[in-house]
Amino acid sequence: MMKIKNFGYFFKEALTSLSRNRVLSFATISTMTICILFLGVAVLMTVNAGNFMNQLESDIQIIAYLDNSLTEAQVAGIKGKIEQTDGVEAVVFVSKAEALQRMQQKFAERDYDLEKTLGKNPLPNTYEVKAQNPQEVAQVAQSIKEIAGVYKVNYGQGIVERLFEVSKWVKIISIGFMVILALGAIFLIATTIRLSVFARRKEIYLMKLIGATDWFVRWPFFIEGILMGLAGAVIAIGLLAAGYSSLVNNMQTALFFIPVVYQQNMLINLYLSLVAAGALLGVAGTYISLNRFLDV
Amino acid sequence: MLVQFYNVTKVYRNGVKALNDVSLKIDRGEFIFLMGPSGAGKSTFIKMLFREEIPTQGQIFISSRSIVRMKRSEVPQLRRSMGVVFQDFKLLENKTVAENIAFALKVVGTRNKDIGPRTAEVIQMVGLKGKEKSFPGQLSGGEQQRVGIARAIANRPLLLIADEPSGNLDMDTAQEIMELLYDINRKGTTIVMATHARELVRSAGKRVVTLEAGRVLSDVCALEL
Repeated sequence: MMKIKNFGYFFKEALTSLSRNRVLSFATISTMTICILFLGVAVLMTVNAGNFMNQLESDIQIIAYLDNSLTEAQVAGIKGKIEQTDGVEAVVFVSKAEALQRMQQKFAERDYDLEKTLGKNPLPNTYEVKAQNPQEVAQVAQSIKEIAGVYKVNYGQGIVERLFEVSKWVKIISIGFMVILALGAIFLIATTIRLSVFARRKEIYLMKLIGATDWFVRWPFFIEGILMGLAGAVIAIGLLAAGYSSLVNNMQTALFFIPVVYQQNMLINLYLSLVAAGALLGVAGTYISLNRFLDV
Repeated sequence: MLVQFYNVTKVYRNGVKALNDVSLKIDRGEFIFLMGPSGAGKSTFIKMLFREEIPTQGQIFISSRSIVRMKRSEVPQLRRSMGVVFQDFKLLENKTVAENIAFALKVVGTRNKDIGPRTAEVIQMVGLKGKEKSFPGQLSGGEQQRVGIARAIANRPLLLIADEPSGNLDMDTAQEIMELLYDINRKGTTIVMATHARELVRSAGKRVVTLEAGRVLSDVCALEL
């Protein structure tokens, strides 16, 4: 496809064209920067929203309340049955004494002895069950409820379903947002390349008449598109990296309860993907504006 | 036989019938003038030679290969066996004389080390030695057309197509350009030249094909005109 000996020539042609249409190139790169910046922000928002949702989801647990009349052996037997239920990941026993102690701790600041006030411990023995997949909590809870000796299960019915609904919409909206931005960027590159091609249509016509292959004509424009995409991406990533790290620093002190994702690996992957996205958008934009002019 | 037209008809999408049942053969080494009033079909005929247009009906063979059945990817190879000279020269204004020629050689995949020597050679052939570094805007019309011719022959084509090459030039300069083309023809390159200039044709003593309303009106030697 591309002969190596021609690469220098193609690259030089691309740079010449970029500098010849300086104003337009600058405008395109700036707009690309904004597009990719938004794209990056959208991705970071999605990642963080996803992370936040995952955290909420992983906090979901099923509490199985046991009959007070059960013997210790029966209580232990139920643990085995819960563990054998499909979709269960972990089971933790919380005795009634422990439950009361926990409750007491919540009132620790006040000088208030629950046991004395209540006379006896009214709390039941419970199992805290974690499902393998938070999405299956409802079914798992239902199966556990059917075990003899379990008189009630609780997993935040209603709230869990709503959480999943919100989480789904967050994903859909952010993907939609990213698609729109990508299309916008492609359109911009396409417009710039179209103008650049149009300015050189006589040269292209001549090249084709002389016997240039389509690819010989295309390469400089592709390189031009890729360079604009890359330049936009690199500037955007610079801004994004600076912005995000200062955001993370501020969040960690001011809004410490909102978890922000700050893994070096994830961020490096994100930035590399944005660079690739810039190049790809450049290629796509160039491709759609070029073919019409090659039909000589 | 280098070029064969068999019952070629061309109807453009807007309904204009540019060529109507044209059959014609061109031998290797021939020099042919293509004459006729504007709209007679000269441009269409020429565009078919390098396959910018293909016939609506009929067949065209160039070096025994059908350009009608030719794949899009084979077109560059066809065109590399031809050179085209234009009325308006079509030189790249931002490139020097030498760069314009080198560019054409580059486009068709000439090895980098061969481009320089070949460029110098054709510049010498068309008599522009010393003007290598001039830009087209600094040259006279005749000189610009010499650059156009140098570019067209740089790749050693079998067929040189000249579309009104002297249309923008005065009579004396036109005559000089004709001498250059005859010279190229003598060295073996087949030439098809579309022109309005009767005076140039009459003195040449070459084959003259006259088109009118898309048909071949006459195909004679100039001396019979």
